Amino acid sequence: MSSASSAADQTVSDFIARGATGPLPRHYGDALVAAARKDPRIVALCADLPGPTETDLFQAELPDRYFEAGIAEANMIGMAAGFARMGQIPFVHSFCVFVTRRAYDQVANQVAYPKLPVKIVGFLPGLTTMLGVSHQAIDDVALMRALPNMTVIEPSGPEQLAGAVTAALETPGPVYLRMLRGDAASAGIAPKPLLRTGEVLRRGPHGTIFASGLSVAAALEAAETLAKDGSDVSVVNIATVKPLDTALVVELAKSTGIVVAAENHSIIGGLGSAVAETLMEAGVPAGFARVGIQDTFAEGGTTPYLQAKYGLGAKDIVAAYGRAAAQRHAIEKGRA
Amino acid sequence: MTKQETRARERQPAPRITDVTELKRIAQELRRQVVRLVAPTGQGYVQQGLGAADLFTAMFFSELRLDPADPAWPDRDRFLLSTAHNTAIFYATLAARGCLPEASLADYCKDGSPLEINASERIGPLIEATCGSLGQGLSVAVGMAMALRHQKRDARVHVILGDGEMQEGQVWEAALMAGARKLSNLCLILDYNRMQVGGHVDNVVGLEPVADKFQSFGFRVETIDGNDMDAVVGAFARARAHSEAPTCIVADTLVGKGAPSLEGILGHNMKLPADLAARALKELAGAGA
Ligand SMILES: Cc1ncc(C[n+]2csc(CCOP(=O)(O)OP(=O)(O)O)c2C)c(N)n1
Repeated sequence: MSSASSAADQTVSDFIARGATGPLPRHYGDALVAAARKDPRIVALCADLPGPTETDLFQAELPDRYFEAGIAEANMIGMAAGFARMGQIPFVHSFCVFVTRRAYDQVANQVAYPKLPVKIVGFLPGLTTMLGVSHQAIDDVALMRALPNMTVIEPSGPEQLAGAVTAALETPGPVYLRMLRGDAASAGIAPKPLLRTGEVLRRGPHGTIFASGLSVAAALEAAETLAKDGSDVSVVNIATVKPLDTALVVELAKSTGIVVAAENHSIIGGLGSAVAETLMEAGVPAGFARVGIQDTFAEGGTTPYLQAKYGLGAKDIVAAYGRAAAQRHAIEKGRA
Repeated sequence: MTKQETRARERQPAPRITDVTELKRIAQELRRQVVRLVAPTGQGYVQQGLGAADLFTAMFFSELRLDPADPAWPDRDRFLLSTAHNTAIFYATLAARGCLPEASLADYCKDGSPLEINASERIGPLIEATCGSLGQGLSVAVGMAMALRHQKRDARVHVILGDGEMQEGQVWEAALMAGARKLSNLCLILDYNRMQVGGHVDNVVGLEPVADKFQSFGFRVETIDGNDMDAVVGAFARARAHSEAPTCIVADTLVGKGAPSLEGILGHNMKLPADLAARALKELAGAGA
């Protein structure tokens, strides 16, 4: 059989480190270790992705509380339910797509129904990976939102990754964290708390853009462009997608009359759907448009390429605002 | 046997290479291609590709019945790469066998190219199923083997699985089915390179005794050195000749095989900077056939 022999003149870790683009900061992983040091109930489970889910430090520092589940996500969710029933608070880790789609029935029956404090942590949200369709979570928010008792959280960026740990722990039952790793440039970024309510990042009277995750930055950029064209819009970071801050959604829709929802996710079942459901049931006659993946599978590619090709960028938000404004105009004309 | 079946059996548009020395030479060339594909961007899986080069060479140049000019030929043997990320070696092999234009390799992992890291059926019918979510390939292979039998076609189904991938429960559901249905037209190759993302498979969730497991599931099992071309070609031929049960070939492979500076390094998604790639290419040029 083949046995491991080491490279001629360097250690394995030297070798891998040399080739890497540089270590990525571990905003989430470091916060999880800090929380676990304070709360002995916290354990981490991981389905063979310690590096990509930032749990490598946890594995090194708290090895007796780190449980490697192997490439077996459905089993891992069941195991986490077992840990939770024994009084632990398990954080389970894989890519977004695998902890949701691949273990959905297990999440529903063993985590959501019994309201267990299992914190389901996924990475690679939406179109942020070269690994293609199999690794792109375009429907995870829809899936998790549809489960009773589930809280769905998506940080706006690296600044809220640590806050996601706090938010998950402050929520008594099951939580889904939809995470995107910060790049090397985000090292040392000042952390911001992650709110249960919508966070108004910019105020403007002409319209409102509700955004989550990667789309928050795009929404702020779109707002700059719109401002140059004379439309001063509000931008709201919705980091807690479920339960949605419906009061704020209704209030801003009423006061601004034009609403755009933007997300790095399918237009079906995610933030855009949640906002639309809220507005219809509240009877708010706002102009409305969604920005998201248009009910299609995508492909592997760099993040900027994918975000542009699949219509998730700032210019797509600007265009959506135009559609929503036209619709608003039509509504008002119809009324007159 | 119907007329159509006879024709299927006789048709072998891409002639099989039986000369093991020639197969070894091809494998060595494919290894160089793996390094060339992965080096420029660091995207792709160099260690796995070098380890599995002999399996891919024997599979595509000696074992599979296929027609590069007619990739959708209904009587082709099916090949599935369940570890769909191992595309550096897969695409290098497909191109060398005339199933992909050589020039398309220049676009490997580039935006817009169908040659993604995880093999997608965007490429065409030779990607029999899109398998980047680990644990799913064997189920599809079992379905294909059952359908081929149902349609009275004599084509075979080959599927490569990773050792880490064996941890997925679905693999064992499929294996139970294959054994229960005695799918002798199915050949599972376990690329047992001992590596997964978290390091050595035994330090994650070990598989041993894996040969016994498959045996107890109703497979005919062979354990071979997956980097010994004679052994690989022989194991494929014996699988083809057997008519009672599915075959599982437990192929011990060495990550980085052929480039001594890379051999045995458990770097799952290892980057390959230019100087180290150049050294590996030099090693690969000197060694082998
Ligand atoms: C269901 C699923 N979970 C996790 C992953 C992420 N992933 C990609 S490759 C890999 C390790 C695969 O190990 P193995 O099967 O041994 O293949 P090899 O090491 O030969 O590449 C993992 C965990 C995945 N692709 N699919």
